[in-house]
Amino acid sequence: MRWLAALILALGLATGAPTTGAQAQVQGVELDAPVVLPAFTFSDENAASFTDADLTGQWTLIMFGFLSCPDVCPFTLGNLEAAVAETGMRVRPDNVPRVVFISVDPARDAGFISEYARFFHPDFISVTGARDQIDALVTATDSFYRLMPPDNTGYYEVQHSSAVSVIAPDGTLRAKLQPPFDPGLTAEFLARLQITYRKELSQ
Amino acid sequence: MKRSLLALALSVLPALASAGDLTVDHPMVPLAPPGSMAHAAFFTITNTGDTSRSLIGVTAPGYHMAHIHQSEEINGVATMQAMHQVDIAPGQSVTFEHGGLHIMLMHPAAPLAEGAEVPLELKFANGETLFVTATVMRMMHGSS
Repeated sequence: MRWLAALILALGLATGAPTTGAQAQVQGVELDAPVVLPAFTFSDENAASFTDADLTGQWTLIMFGFLSCPDVCPFTLGNLEAAVAETGMRVRPDNVPRVVFISVDPARDAGFISEYARFFHPDFISVTGARDQIDALVTATDSFYRLMPPDNTGYYEVQHSSAVSVIAPDGTLRAKLQPPFDPGLTAEFLARLQITYRKELSQ
Repeated sequence: MKRSLLALALSVLPALASAGDLTVDHPMVPLAPPGSMAHAAFFTITNTGDTSRSLIGVTAPGYHMAHIHQSEEINGVATMQAMHQVDIAPGQSVTFEHGGLHIMLMHPAAPLAEGAEVPLELKFANGETLFVTATVMRMMHGSS
């Protein structure tokens, strides 16, 4: 049976049909110049904090979202888990990025934010914070969110950027990952970004 | 051979709900993270009849509320909007899947483990209700 899969794969490669689509996707965009981020403090309900100081010394992927998000947020975190696992096969263990989920909806999420990202990987963290802290980091990373007006039951939607910010070990924003966050291609992008970063440091 | 066919038919049955000319395939709810207040339900609905059908609402007994939703990404911003009607033309299949249409299930009454069953009642414009049982499954994330 395995030969059949191999044959299908080979045929696919020969015609280019299933691969061109994925190859053509842009998984990330490197910024022209690194962006310095402002000081910030976020935390979870157990008072574990995540601040700008935590960015230093390791790669970080920051995603904005909210817990009442049925489709996009869990899907993105699931793909980031797979992408980080793939990155782990391409870079040194201490260069594997840490994934941070920041809720832009603290009113609904602050009470039980910590478990959310951990569901996808034990090293992922999820936090939220005061509105001014959220806004400062959203603005600095050229991200976006909007809490929509509530309906008659009080329920409201949240719109948010789908891109994920890539922060280098010097604490500066270096790139944005974009949907669909294909794990293999995202890992390839991150590994190349790290090579560029190291070259820049050694100059 | 007959027995294996029967076994196959039986194994396929639970994933298939139908009422008259409508068939729902692969109803599933992705296993959601703890703290998640909203779940999604996905499936494919097919109209094998010769008149157009309109899905106009959903109820889910295990949740506070259920909406028909459409995810969209517009200029890098993920948005959702409630859909009041989804038309299924004769012979057409409409797939509810990641990044597009989904049933948004708000505030589960209890946490749901992998394999749990989620009853859904799909309401149609002609007054018909289609009862569907979705299964909670872990989503697979791999390269395409």
